[in-house]
Amino acid sequence: MRAPRLLALVAVLVAGFALIPVGYVLLRGGVSLGALVDTLTLPTTMGYLVNTVLLTILVPLASVVLGVLLAVLVVRTDLPGRRIWAMLFALPLGIPAFVGSYAWVSLSYAVNPASTALFGLPGAVLILGSSLYPYVFLPVVAALRSLDTTQEEMARSLGHGLVATFLKVTLPQLRPALSGGALIIALHMLAEYGALVLLRYQTLTTAIMARYEFGRAEEALLLSTLLTVLCLAVLGFDRLLFRGVGRAAPDSRIRLGSGVTRTSTPAPLHAWQVPALLGSSAVVFIGLVVPLTGIFGGLFQRLFGSGFADYDWLRLLTAIGNTASVGALAALVTTLVAIPVSMFITRHPSTLSMLTERATWITRSLPGIVVALALVFLASRYLPGLYQTIALMVLGYVLLFLPLAVGAQRSGLLAAAPQFDELSRSLGQGPLTTFRRVTLPLALPGIASGALLVFLDVGKELTATLLLHPTGFDMLSTGLWSRTELLDYKDAAPYALALVVLSSIPAYFLARRMLR
Amino acid sequence: MVHLPRSLHLIGGLAAAALLATALTACSAGTTAEPGAETGQSPSGAATPATLTIYSGQHEAFAQSLADAFTADTGIATQLRAGSDVELVNQIIEEGDNSKADVILTEEPGPIDTLAAAGVLSPVSPPTLAKTVTQYNPGNGLWLAWAARARSVVYNPTMISADKLPAHLLDLADPKWKGTFAYAPSGAFVGTVTYLIDTIGADKTRTWLEGIRDNGENLGKNAAVRDAVEAGQISFGLINHYYWFLKADEVGAENMVSKQHYMGNQDAGALVFPSGAGVLKTSSHQAEAQQFLGWLADADGGQKIVASDSPQYPLGIGVTSTQDLEPLENLDPPVVDSGDFANPENAQQLLVEVGII
Repeated sequence: MRAPRLLALVAVLVAGFALIPVGYVLLRGGVSLGALVDTLTLPTTMGYLVNTVLLTILVPLASVVLGVLLAVLVVRTDLPGRRIWAMLFALPLGIPAFVGSYAWVSLSYAVNPASTALFGLPGAVLILGSSLYPYVFLPVVAALRSLDTTQEEMARSLGHGLVATFLKVTLPQLRPALSGGALIIALHMLAEYGALVLLRYQTLTTAIMARYEFGRAEEALLLSTLLTVLCLAVLGFDRLLFRGVGRAAPDSRIRLGSGVTRTSTPAPLHAWQVPALLGSSAVVFIGLVVPLTGIFGGLFQRLFGSGFADYDWLRLLTAIGNTASVGALAALVTTLVAIPVSMFITRHPSTLSMLTERATWITRSLPGIVVALALVFLASRYLPGLYQTIALMVLGYVLLFLPLAVGAQRSGLLAAAPQFDELSRSLGQGPLTTFRRVTLPLALPGIASGALLVFLDVGKELTATLLLHPTGFDMLSTGLWSRTELLDYKDAAPYALALVVLSSIPAYFLARRMLR
Repeated sequence: MVHLPRSLHLIGGLAAAALLATALTACSAGTTAEPGAETGQSPSGAATPATLTIYSGQHEAFAQSLADAFTADTGIATQLRAGSDVELVNQIIEEGDNSKADVILTEEPGPIDTLAAAGVLSPVSPPTLAKTVTQYNPGNGLWLAWAARARSVVYNPTMISADKLPAHLLDLADPKWKGTFAYAPSGAFVGTVTYLIDTIGADKTRTWLEGIRDNGENLGKNAAVRDAVEAGQISFGLINHYYWFLKADEVGAENMVSKQHYMGNQDAGALVFPSGAGVLKTSSHQAEAQQFLGWLADADGGQKIVASDSPQYPLGIGVTSTQDLEPLENLDPPVVDSGDFANPENAQQLLVEVGII
């Protein structure tokens, strides 16, 4: 079937719009090959590159191992209190990485001030891995629950052991879930800033921010070029590793969901029950208890120290209102813009649609500050009326978070088998009616997840927000960062708590939807 | 789809939230952005009362208390955009003629010198300059030095005694100091490198920086250096005096383990960097902006806030900080023109080539 031209056109336009920041990078800094070579041969660049690559491999790897283990534990075993554990495992989603890192650093200072064990690569992998694994855990839980266990039973009956069956039959079917989660985490590593500053680990992105802070925009843009190349490498690697994932299987029958979803008998843990409980507690302790202890520790320190009498509560409330309203607005706009792209890529798989989708991912990998500077540059020259407005800030979020919405919508639309569209069309319904009455209702869960993910990430975003927020318009993240800059945790604690509470709302809904 | 109704419910709720949000945003945009928008559109600003937009690289809470006090004293409304010096200076340059800033406040002389060199600052009214210590104002009169921060050595007495500290900044390139100290390539550090290039030349400065790179630990931020020394992770560090007092303010000076040492003797390690205030040429509120600078320099205006709310040195003539600072007269810094820190590119280039930033 030929792709309807209009849909293709809109999707390609959206992707082109998403490429504006990359265009800015190339235009302002990346075109000069000589300068790029000069930057690459600086003594520090290779170190930043190695650090970035290490982090981008190790954190997703740690998250995948942890996420799959925990998902198997809560879905397939008789772990006591599985439902509660599942929710606890999902909750770190609501704690921004830089808040978690701050809590760890302040705890380290409180417990063993002279220790520097937390700083550097091992600490970064531990803290970021334990804060980001829900991006793997949640989709894997959902995938495990919807798997048709008949295949596994068949493999068992053919003489495969438990582990062999998992590796050969179950794991391959988890690939879409793993692909999406690992990709989000890997790209997050390319763009992470706040957490790495606190953990004293230098990557290309911290170097880019440092160069910008010193006003060396050209060098920062050259380093951004390198970061963009890394992003392409990650996308290519993902494509290689998960080839064919995301397309409807050619032989798929018309069916809802993915076959017979049955409650399989949970595997008894026996002697492994105690280690499993200890391991689960350790994960919750590292990912949840420590960050919350850091925040509440700060609150109590302030409460019993200088007190909250002169605290600017109005300002905090305004920041909460701003974050919630801008987050909701950005979620709505991003969802609307993402729909044509996800329709195009799921309904009309082709090289063009694949490239369209990947184009939206490239912006996601750029540090927020590069996207923000592109917008400041373009708006202040060509659209001065837009400069320093909420509209421009929302535009920045749309550019940054479009792939989150596209990714979630893609799985939603895949759940709504294209054959239903075809059936509806063959019965004489137009494409819009088909979308409204058939596709949309079936894909709604995926679309809702996408919107929640965007809302969540707007709250957590730091670097672009620092540049794009209109004068006098505080967000929780900028308020928190300006207070943590001085490493003054008790002043920042109310902002950290508000951010965690606000983020926990979409995180809870996402988790509940996927854990249901 | 068994769960469809719940999902629909969720989407409905989200849509409602988004609508509410749009309404809220429209409201808040109406209340916060309108004054700025009005003034931006009517350059003559005859009828509408002025709202002064201040871009500030100073710590936000402090800048806010300055802005609030100015509004209380004069009735002129203010709007603050807080960020880092360089970020805001770059932003003003990127914004060009469309800049919304009326006044710029910086922490360091370098960034505001860069603005002065770019030709975007109006000269400061001479009576305003006359209210402050002449030594720290730039020779070109394009900005006001209204507060200052001194370079200091923060040290942990349980790890090193004061008499064992290096006498001169340049000594630190000696391998005998390897692994003993931390530093941060902050704005003041770049300013120090600029000063060294001007006095001992680029080649010697490069050699010195290579020594610093090999011997010291780069912790990125002054606050991180201070905390590492205070915690006993390292013996001593190079910071601005200001950061020690911020921490002392929080935990009580009597509870601080670390102490500060000032090199003095007009050593490169004893530089004193003034904070700057300037008026943008593109501002449509020249009179009010100059009035703000005049107020900032006044012993009964901004200087009172500097003296009480910040551990920076107030530079108003006859104004003394209420904090327990080493007296400004005892610091004995090298004599330099604060207007000479423009174009920090040479210093930064060295730092990049050596591999410090």
